[in-house]
Amino acid sequence: MNALEIKNLTKSYPGFTLDNLNLTLPSGCIMGLIGENGAGKSTTIKLILNMLHKDSGTIRILGKDNTENIELAKEDIGVVLDEVGFPECLTVKQVGKVMKHTFRNWNEAEYVRLLQKLSLPDNKPFKDFSRGMKMKLGIAVAMSHGAKLLLLDEPTSGLDPVVRDEVVEMFYDFTRDENHSILISSHIVSDLERLCDYIAFLHKGKLLICEEKDKLLSEYGIIHCSVEQLSELDKNAVKYKKETPYGAEVIVSRKNAPDGFKLSPVSIEELFVFMVKEAK
Amino acid sequence: MKGLLLKDWYMTKKYCKYYLFVGVSFIILSLMSKGNMFFVFYPCLLCGMIPVNLLGYDERSRWTEYVGTLPYTKTQIVSAKYLIGLFAQIAMLTVTCIAQGVKMGIDGAFVMTEFLVLMMLLLIMATVTSSLTLPFIFKLGVEKGRAAYYVMIGVVCAGSIIASNLLSSKVQAEINLNGILPIICLVGIGTYALSWYLSIVFYKKREI
Repeated sequence: MNALEIKNLTKSYPGFTLDNLNLTLPSGCIMGLIGENGAGKSTTIKLILNMLHKDSGTIRILGKDNTENIELAKEDIGVVLDEVGFPECLTVKQVGKVMKHTFRNWNEAEYVRLLQKLSLPDNKPFKDFSRGMKMKLGIAVAMSHGAKLLLLDEPTSGLDPVVRDEVVEMFYDFTRDENHSILISSHIVSDLERLCDYIAFLHKGKLLICEEKDKLLSEYGIIHCSVEQLSELDKNAVKYKKETPYGAEVIVSRKNAPDGFKLSPVSIEELFVFMVKEAK
Repeated sequence: MKGLLLKDWYMTKKYCKYYLFVGVSFIILSLMSKGNMFFVFYPCLLCGMIPVNLLGYDERSRWTEYVGTLPYTKTQIVSAKYLIGLFAQIAMLTVTCIAQGVKMGIDGAFVMTEFLVLMMLLLIMATVTSSLTLPFIFKLGVEKGRAAYYVMIGVVCAGSIIASNLLSSKVQAEINLNGILPIICLVGIGTYALSWYLSIVFYKKREI
């Protein structure tokens, strides 16, 4: 079963359109949603949760249409938004009590375990938390009610590298269960590169690519050459290129890669930057 | 919905605790003053502000958005605010009514009709602010909704002056108030129910 199926999803605002988005996230997998600010990542997550009304298209969460009894589906979804929105006066303990009466499968022991793991204080009001601590609390709540699908909008932003590493590891552990899946958006592409099975690039509301990460990395390579050498390359082999007065960088399809050039592995970040620049 | 009510209870304890002090002070002042209905009505008016204030804090902390990710219907989200307001209003109404009843008894001026009318007026005062303001807030958000709220406060204050005049004339009370008692009752309950329904309709259409 697919954890998430989005077909022909469209949503328009003045000045922005999420245009005909198609995404499929198989169960047990992690998909990274990469895009610049305003690309449509948060809009996509809110549309999935039916917080925004779509103009057209269909969304199925864990096999069910998201317009039918979405509240029940939300029992199985853990969400971290880019701004964690707990009331400022609430302490971690009080948040736990509220969530205990919110989710049927709330697991208090797991919540306490995660709070300890993430070093969150019991009795400090939320308003006194740093951005990183707020994010950690959001993550702890999202992972304490037996969710099968995590929707995470920039969950690692504001975290220091050590905690980020820990959190990425927690997400990784979460998907060891083949019924668990994650859709995660982030600017920190290195985290996604490490974590994700699938990568989707969004740019100005359009999906540029959605592919298995390993396939992407094995399909493309990067060549660093001079501008003169660039003209020698087979145009069919060149996917994306960047020219500067000091040389050229070219992303090529490995199967069409020309002989005589040193082909280096391409990173997801490089691929994204090239694709977005090409799209401009 | 228990989770929503519990969260609102924590917030009410934190942000609205001074309402209790102000409310009790005004009730004491109303017992000492002669015929000034403002002191009688204000504690109940104050309680009508609780859901409005809570919504302001919700928006500031971005709970308004976050709650959309939790397994609650929009009907439950709206209803929690009406219920928390109702609990506070009933509590303040009860205390005020007891205080005014005792005062009337001590003054030797206890007239059941007049007391019932006062109770009904207090009920309307307690519910009218939230009745008239919450639909605006659930449709337009807190900022624009608050503007509507201040207009309503003006209307309510004018209403309290009119009510005060009505009660000051005993003869008028005997003639008119008996007649308008059921209407007052129906208007209060009907407005609150309609407001609750409209807020749900507006909020369902609103994108968070």
